[in-house]
Amino acid sequence: MSTTLEARGSEGDGAGGTSRRRSYHLHAWSFTAPGVVWVFAFTIFPLAHTLYLSLQSTGLGGNRFVGLRNFVRLWRDYRFWSALRLTLTFVAVSVVVTVVVGTVLALAVNRGVRGTRVFRTLSILPMFAAPIALGYLGLTIFYQQGGPINNVLAAVGLRPVPWLSDGRWALVSILAVDVWQWTPFVFLVVLAALQNVPAELLEAARIETSSSWPVLTRITFPLIRGPLGTVIILRIVEAFKVFDIPFTLTNGGPGLATRSLTYDVYTTGLRNQNFGYAASIAVVMLVLVMVVAIVFYRSYGSTYE
Amino acid sequence: MAKRCSTYAVLAGFLLVGTAGVSQAAASMDELEKSTADKAFAAAAKGKPNPAWKGQTFTIATLAAGPRGAISGPLYFWKPYFEKLTGATYRVVEIAFGDMQAKIETDFASGAGQYDAVVGGQFMMGDYVANDWIIPIDKYLNDPSYPKMDLDSIAPAYKALDRWGDHWYAFNNDHDGMILYYRRDLFNDKKWQDQFQAKYKYALPNPPKTWQQLLDVASFFNSVEWNGPGKEHQGISLHLKVGEQGFFDFLSIAAPYVVSTPGGNPKKVTRFHNVFWFDPTDMKPLVNTAPFVKALETEIALYKAGSSAQLSWALGEAWNAFLGGQAAMCYSFGDVTPLAESAANSVIKGKVAASPTPGSTEVWDFQSKKWVKASGANLVGNVDGASWSGVISRKAKNPDLVAYFLAWQGTPEINHWNTTWGFTGINPGTKYDFFAPFGTAKVEDYVNAGYDRQDAIDYVNAYQKQDFEYPLQLPYLRIPGTPAYLESLDVHISEALSGHVSAQEALNRIASDWDEITDRLGRDKQVKFYREAIGYTGG
Repeated sequence: MSTTLEARGSEGDGAGGTSRRRSYHLHAWSFTAPGVVWVFAFTIFPLAHTLYLSLQSTGLGGNRFVGLRNFVRLWRDYRFWSALRLTLTFVAVSVVVTVVVGTVLALAVNRGVRGTRVFRTLSILPMFAAPIALGYLGLTIFYQQGGPINNVLAAVGLRPVPWLSDGRWALVSILAVDVWQWTPFVFLVVLAALQNVPAELLEAARIETSSSWPVLTRITFPLIRGPLGTVIILRIVEAFKVFDIPFTLTNGGPGLATRSLTYDVYTTGLRNQNFGYAASIAVVMLVLVMVVAIVFYRSYGSTYE
Repeated sequence: MAKRCSTYAVLAGFLLVGTAGVSQAAASMDELEKSTADKAFAAAAKGKPNPAWKGQTFTIATLAAGPRGAISGPLYFWKPYFEKLTGATYRVVEIAFGDMQAKIETDFASGAGQYDAVVGGQFMMGDYVANDWIIPIDKYLNDPSYPKMDLDSIAPAYKALDRWGDHWYAFNNDHDGMILYYRRDLFNDKKWQDQFQAKYKYALPNPPKTWQQLLDVASFFNSVEWNGPGKEHQGISLHLKVGEQGFFDFLSIAAPYVVSTPGGNPKKVTRFHNVFWFDPTDMKPLVNTAPFVKALETEIALYKAGSSAQLSWALGEAWNAFLGGQAAMCYSFGDVTPLAESAANSVIKGKVAASPTPGSTEVWDFQSKKWVKASGANLVGNVDGASWSGVISRKAKNPDLVAYFLAWQGTPEINHWNTTWGFTGINPGTKYDFFAPFGTAKVEDYVNAGYDRQDAIDYVNAYQKQDFEYPLQLPYLRIPGTPAYLESLDVHISEALSGHVSAQEALNRIASDWDEITDRLGRDKQVKFYREAIGYTGG
């Protein structure tokens, strides 16, 4: 960029050239400044402030510098490990289930089955609902005594499930609501990608083989690899941030059974007013997500080049 | 077809008549509510509202429960009266219970000044005062321009919550405390009395006097079909959902095992007596000691005498199980009888007995570290709950106007009216709420608001006994950081109840968390605040 500018500058001569250069710089800055300000105000500053806070302890009368003590404490904090375990489990299950189910549905709909338009419209409705509303809806659906799911189970002679009062079932409940909300997103993106696969390519492949499996694995999947990768990384990042659903459905309980890392940051920072320690959890979470993203792009990156 | 039509017509007729009956009854209750409120408004002290307040608006943050819900309900209800009285008005900002600390303390700490007043939980008082976020209200209490509250009528335990050191900070409003509610019809039924006697070898206690008796009774009613064949029949209903107010259940159980008298003046606070939370000399948590373990083990057993869903029940669900006739007992705040008398889903009006929470036959002596037999039962009253009361933010734009409103709500007429009408969530705790000869209220005050006479008597007397006659009281935690201490308590009690860890392990985790919080906030400062809060002066 600077080379180009210099080259252009040298084209002019004397005061006129300097003036043109200045005008060019001014224009360049006026176009880039909003972006730079935006990035500084909403990305760099919060990040720097979070890093600064993570080195502080919040007591009566304000913060004091404690170095890396917050990070050392994390290693022996069972709450942090419990939230980390829960979050990683949640990410793994939620991403796998939404991607598999969404892709299978997209493949089915892409075959042109009757009523797909109606199905497509209906299936994306949960995506437009606020997660907090879905959480409250889940509260009704998973209600243990007289909730619709347990009523159906009772009608077929099965025992009621302690959806929200048992730790493992509570995790299943928040996963179910999350999968319900995010599967349509995967479905829509994968369907759009499938519809961009050239029909003649598929027809040519079908002439070569009578089985649809090789067509799917050798033609279709390689061609939708890019959009699928985008979906997976977006889902991973979104699942790492899970907060609204456990917040509304279980309050993170029973005990700590459904308390995610973001929930832990919220409770530690805003409820318990321990901003320094909350910031250190947030920093670790950021590093984790970055590591996952880097590993993902290392193995998937060639698709985007 | 004709038969089907006529059947539909008859059904529709029943529905119409039924609906008309219900709406007539509702209309007459609405009229009664309005006319009694008008009378209370007319009789309440009004001071001299400043004409300059006309057209002004202030903001009150409070519990999210809607226009007819607990605590926020009366703020909406009295708004037109206040507008008529002063020409000023206010906005109500509703905040969910679990978000109150986060939103209010963030507003105060950041100096945003979004809220001029908070009708909030008294457990935030330590943070308010330590950080100088609210103003003392002493100057308004004897100023004739402001409506006069009857401060002498307030039960001592609640009065202490409104004050810090030598100053008043909160206006009289709500008086929370847990009491026991139980089904009078079941306890008086000879069939159940005989079966209980046969099984437990002592008479069905009416009411249960100790937590062990309560556990026996709950287990008994959980095991017999007292509600008819095939129907839900729980011994007890508890609100144990984490992030709500379940930890108060544990505190009520622990109180008589932990709080003891030094003899002589029963209320004297020493290092080992009338203490509950911490050792007042060094803030070492007491929560993982033997009496707390016993209390938590009792609560775990009690939880098993009810629905397993209790772990996901907030207040509403637990109360509904009792109001809907599925649970034989419930111990909770003062909203249960008022709801039993007025809620549409209540099937137990006229059957709700009440008593103070039970005691224990032994109490832990922290000095000798041994159990000591209590003479009779060790009875410890409690003011568990939020006791929602109004405070004024230091950033309030017009603190005088806010003070006028909160003082007016605390006058005996308005406050007592709120107590008698169930939807308000305001619970009794003043002499004008209690019956003669102790107080000045009449049973008719409650009967006129839709109560069954005996239910009203049992309910009001249970509070009067607990507030004024119980020799000891569970000290209320309200030092800086209280929300953080309580959050830890809440989460780990839930862990023990869900079987994730043992009672001792859960309590050890709480003690460890509490030490961390105390160190973070400054142990020396916390010792000072704690001593002030419980009235410990040494010894």
